[in-house]
Amino acid sequence: MDVSDLVDTTTGRQKRTIYSNEELYKQELERIFGRCWLFLVHTSQIPKAGDYFRTFMGEDDVIVIRQKDGSIKAFLNSCTHRGNRICRADRGNAKAFTCNYHGWSFAPDGSLAGVPLENEAYFGELDRSKLGLVQVTHVAEYKGLVFGCFDPDAPSLEDYLGDAKFFLDVWLDAMPGGTSLLGETQKMELGSNWKLPVENVCGDGYHLGWAHAGAMSAVQSMDLAGLSVGNSSTNLEGGLSVAGMNGHMALTSLDGISGYAFYPEPKPMMDYLEANRPTAIERLGKVRGEQLWGSQINITIFPNLQFLPGLNWFRVYHPKGPGKLEQWTWAMVENDMPDEMQAAILDNQCLTFGLAGLFDNDDGDNLAACTEQSRGWRTAQMDVFTNMALGRSGPRDGFPGDIAAGLVSEHNQRYFYRRWQEHMQAESWAEVPTYNINSLSVEEPENA
Amino acid sequence: MLEMNPAPVLVEDMIALTQRLYHEARLLDAERFEDWLELLCDDVTYRMDLKRRRFRADRSPPAAVGAGVVFNENIARLKLRIDRLRSGYVWAEDPPNFVRRVISNVEIEPADAENEVIVHSVIVIHRNRIDGLARQFTAGRTDRWRHGTQGWCLAARDIALDHAVLPDSNINVFF
Ligand code: FES
Ligand SMILES: [Fe+2]
Repeated sequence: MDVSDLVDTTTGRQKRTIYSNEELYKQELERIFGRCWLFLVHTSQIPKAGDYFRTFMGEDDVIVIRQKDGSIKAFLNSCTHRGNRICRADRGNAKAFTCNYHGWSFAPDGSLAGVPLENEAYFGELDRSKLGLVQVTHVAEYKGLVFGCFDPDAPSLEDYLGDAKFFLDVWLDAMPGGTSLLGETQKMELGSNWKLPVENVCGDGYHLGWAHAGAMSAVQSMDLAGLSVGNSSTNLEGGLSVAGMNGHMALTSLDGISGYAFYPEPKPMMDYLEANRPTAIERLGKVRGEQLWGSQINITIFPNLQFLPGLNWFRVYHPKGPGKLEQWTWAMVENDMPDEMQAAILDNQCLTFGLAGLFDNDDGDNLAACTEQSRGWRTAQMDVFTNMALGRSGPRDGFPGDIAAGLVSEHNQRYFYRRWQEHMQAESWAEVPTYNINSLSVEEPENA
Repeated sequence: MLEMNPAPVLVEDMIALTQRLYHEARLLDAERFEDWLELLCDDVTYRMDLKRRRFRADRSPPAAVGAGVVFNENIARLKLRIDRLRSGYVWAEDPPNFVRRVISNVEIEPADAENEVIVHSVIVIHRNRIDGLARQFTAGRTDRWRHGTQGWCLAARDIALDHAVLPDSNINVFF
């Protein structure tokens, strides 16, 4: 389908049909989820050989497995005999995966290791070497984050991430010990198109003060007030909306502490930041070490990965049709954080953005209703708008990207839909533009 | 499970506690949160842990820092949730949803402390939210109820939610 008229980034307009149309959804599975690098797993979730983690790439069920040599491979979670799902657990450790249907057994490297009655029923004529699990074309890691990609012609993961690495590193590389995702997966089903939560978190600071007014008013009494300082209309100047990095976005405060200031007991968090600030500056340079590390930041990697240093939640959205998705969330920590601090982060993440999250529970119905209101014969033809602060962006010293001042703007959303349109229009990766606007020509030294 | 020769639970206690569970459910259905708080001990713990979904033979260790929770509340955090619901800004609850709790499988056994008992039960929460959207949560509960001067108060509740994927976009209800 031609999508040239469905999104207009110059005016900030989208046709609502993009949230409900079945044909467009199939095209998204092909041209976005079948083409982009998609987050699979964090290395901390599969530390040992044989550790595996089940996830999705678009609607394709995938198992990611740590190999004997420490490398990571990903396979379609589907038996090569009759197609049955071979793994029904969320994760674990396994020496083999045996299909429930007829008992074919696959080794962690994907090879077909055993077939019941191989000689008797197949007369020894089955070529097991051709019937291993189907491997995800590319799997690559960026500082603990493991991504997979189905498209053989995709750019390297490093190139795909582009200048978003400037922001990724604020989380992934500020401290020498690296990062982890904690706990079990917090899974929620939402009656929403997958683009709406991504759009919401990538740039929509506007909704915080109203959609989350109930949580804001209650939580202030528990001294989580820093949240409203960072994200509500009380401080429109105090941050940046950064986009134009191959479809990836960041929304960031610049104070270096706001991410942790709202914790019920912020003192240990502040102490940690203070004690390790010199390390962060040494590793990331002055701008990021002083202004970004410790700040509340929303990072979006196109199409469906988002994580928020500060609130410390990490999330992917798996599409389940044009009007449905599964939202998967974990708490995230730096491994250098003391155990008590990690436990406090996990607890607070569950309290604020978990399955019964005081804040998270405000978003679902809005996203679902926006989806439903794009399904009617008449509403599907209507437009929706992301035109706030149009034309008010530009470069900013020390930062990559096309930047709009403040956290309340629809600047990032426009770039999200621009990227969506670019992918949906392109027949192949060769036609997808690469851009890192205002790229920092001279990188800050790794070790100042 | 009741032992073959359990320390006897008095019939009066059985009736009183079962009635408490039903009463509690009716208070919550009617959003009488302040009255519900009256049934809780001051040191109440209210938990719902995230569950693991592993193969039976799986030997992988539990998560180091913890599995994470849906609820990990004390009385202050329960009040915080009630403050949010009472704020008038929780749009998902306005108009009020049709919420009905069904409590069943009540089983009572002695606890270690003399003035406490363990109460097992099952809760099903039906919610009719927007238009025809009806959702149901099913959970098992293991409670500790304590007998004091005010009668029975809830000292601890462990809730086991029976959904691998939460089938709704919020949990603006208490179990
Ligand atoms: S479908 Fe898996 S063994 Fe037949
Ligand atoms: Fe939100």
